[in-house]
Amino acid sequence: MTEQAMELINVRKQIGKKEIIKDLSFTIQKGEVFGFIGPNGAGKTTTIRMMVGLMKLTDGDVRILGKSIKTNYKEAIREVGAIVENPEMYPFMSGWRNLQHFSAMIPSITKERIEEVVRLVGLEKVITEKVGRYSLGMRQRLGIAQALLHKPSVLILDEPTNGLDPAGIREIRHYIRRLATEENVAVIISSHLLAEIEQMCDRIGIIKNGELITTQSVQDTMEQVDLQQVEMEVSPIEQAIDLLKEKHELNATEKDGTLHFQSTKEVIPVIIQTFVQHEIAIYQVGVSKTTLEDKFFDLIGENAIE
Amino acid sequence: MSRFFHLLINEHMKLYIRKSTWIMYGLLAIIIVGLGLLSNTFTNDVEYDDNWRETLQEENEQLIKENEEFQENMANGDAEIYAGPNSHLIEKNNYYLENDIQPTPYDAWQFVMENEMLLSIVSLLTIIIAAGIVAHEFKWGTIKLLLIRPITRAKILLSKYVTVLLFAFYTLCFVLIFSWIVGALFFGVAGMSPHIVINQNGDFAQVSVLSEIMSGYGYKLINLVMMATFAFMISTIFRNSTIAIGLAIFLMMAGNSIVTFFADRAWAKYILFANTDLSQYADGNSPWIDDMTLQFSISVLVVYYIIFLALSWLFFTKRDVAGQ
Ligand SMILES: Nc1ncnc2c1ncn2[C@@H]1O[C@H](COP(=O)(O)OP(=O)(O)O)[C@@H](O)[C@H]1O
Ligand SMILES: [Mg+2]
Repeated sequence: MTEQAMELINVRKQIGKKEIIKDLSFTIQKGEVFGFIGPNGAGKTTTIRMMVGLMKLTDGDVRILGKSIKTNYKEAIREVGAIVENPEMYPFMSGWRNLQHFSAMIPSITKERIEEVVRLVGLEKVITEKVGRYSLGMRQRLGIAQALLHKPSVLILDEPTNGLDPAGIREIRHYIRRLATEENVAVIISSHLLAEIEQMCDRIGIIKNGELITTQSVQDTMEQVDLQQVEMEVSPIEQAIDLLKEKHELNATEKDGTLHFQSTKEVIPVIIQTFVQHEIAIYQVGVSKTTLEDKFFDLIGENAIE
Repeated sequence: MSRFFHLLINEHMKLYIRKSTWIMYGLLAIIIVGLGLLSNTFTNDVEYDDNWRETLQEENEQLIKENEEFQENMANGDAEIYAGPNSHLIEKNNYYLENDIQPTPYDAWQFVMENEMLLSIVSLLTIIIAAGIVAHEFKWGTIKLLLIRPITRAKILLSKYVTVLLFAFYTLCFVLIFSWIVGALFFGVAGMSPHIVINQNGDFAQVSVLSEIMSGYGYKLINLVMMATFAFMISTIFRNSTIAIGLAIFLMMAGNSIVTFFADRAWAKYILFANTDLSQYADGNSPWIDDMTLQFSISVLVVYYIIFLALSWLFFTKRDVAGQ
């Protein structure tokens, strides 16, 4: 199913003279887990605040199941569950009372439903304790429970892996995947650490300085991970490109007098053999592994703002 | 409507689950018991039984004697100006005798009446609650979770404001009822609708204690509601409870001085505090500024009230909820 759950259309946010979000557009499908990645200060939280109506859009629109957050707020927000920035709850009340408090704000949430979400996030043992005594991980889970109470179509989690240990992250990954596949929920997860969330995402969008640099499916990038970025100084270069196409079905390009292409590690010796057989002079061979992480750093650049 | 009721329950839960709220009631209770003890020590326990006329006359003789002794000790010039420390009591006793009214003993009702001054403390507590009810959500960060619900911001704000008014109402009831109980334990109850003789602008008159309680507390409630609404507004604008408490309490304390300070300006009558005490129009009293009328003051109060609420609404519903 490829129904649109959430759509951002040319979203802009300007505070004072500063343009914090610049013309952001992307869509998230039902049942899809979308990773919203960017360094600190890139504008993830600001975008999320606009998605849930906490901040006004300077320009553009956000549509949730086709309903505009600007003109049809109540209908649109009904479909959304969210944690924005930190999972803050009333510290002087128990986890249970906190959930009761938020469920009272939405029609027809039963006691059974509250129990169900408590079980889902695994907080049964501590739910009657005061939230002030919870660890950050427990608060994250309570935050997720709160966001799930009303069975939203879109779940937005801002940095949900912050402060979690690897086991906690694995657990969150587990039930986020389940929500997406079993309940067809569209999940948006932001993070400044790609490695922490790439495994739970179907697709990632990379934001830097308020601009969406790229969105790509994790499947694509995972395949690319095995590929090596190969750089060769050869002559004649034209013949080398033709040979790669002919013999190895590889598309190579010429950049600054060197040959660039991607291939798996195993075929590199074979390629060299081919070149030698055709009397192409090889001066230098360079190989670098491209991981998604590297790609991420390539994209956001060195001067990541804090 | 029922959603609004849920919002009210939520606000009440958040308010009354915290110890600080109960400490407020505890403090009030201690103050009331303290006042009871104090009154118990200082009230004369003369019984005005069937022979109350003789008792009063004896009392007067004693008082006159004391007065004469006092005057002998004074320089002649002063004695003419000052009739003596007991003259007030003597006049009062004479009023009882002349109008043939049996004095009512000091009792729970009069204790409640005298505790009217506790409304300043109720105002203070209500200001503290009003200042925190919006600002705390920002401080705790819970405002984000509160606002991303299918409920308009205006409705959430209204539920908070109504909760503040209800808090004031409960606290007022607490002061009335607890004072009455403490009064009953210390002084007993003299009937269900006792009358007492009090001095009103130089003349003695017999009044119903109940109606005195109603008007005394009633007039003070206006100031309470205005200051609580003011604190509520400051708290929604600045999202900070300390500023709201500070400003509201400062203005509450300085209100009269502000009016006095600007009294000779043409616009002085438009100052909120020139109008919050409506008892200035009660029989025999004169208003702050001569040409002020009850209608004028009510209009000024209504305008201030609407401005306070409108600004709260504007800032709460229109402004971004951004990070710190
Ligand atoms: N209320 C605000 N006023 C001005 N600038 C802000 C405000 N909130 C955020 N910013 C700026 O917007 C940028 C994006 O912030 P944010 O959305 O919090 O980034 P992220 O969540 O990706 O770390 C930052 O440069 C931050 O300084
Ligand atoms: Mg952030």
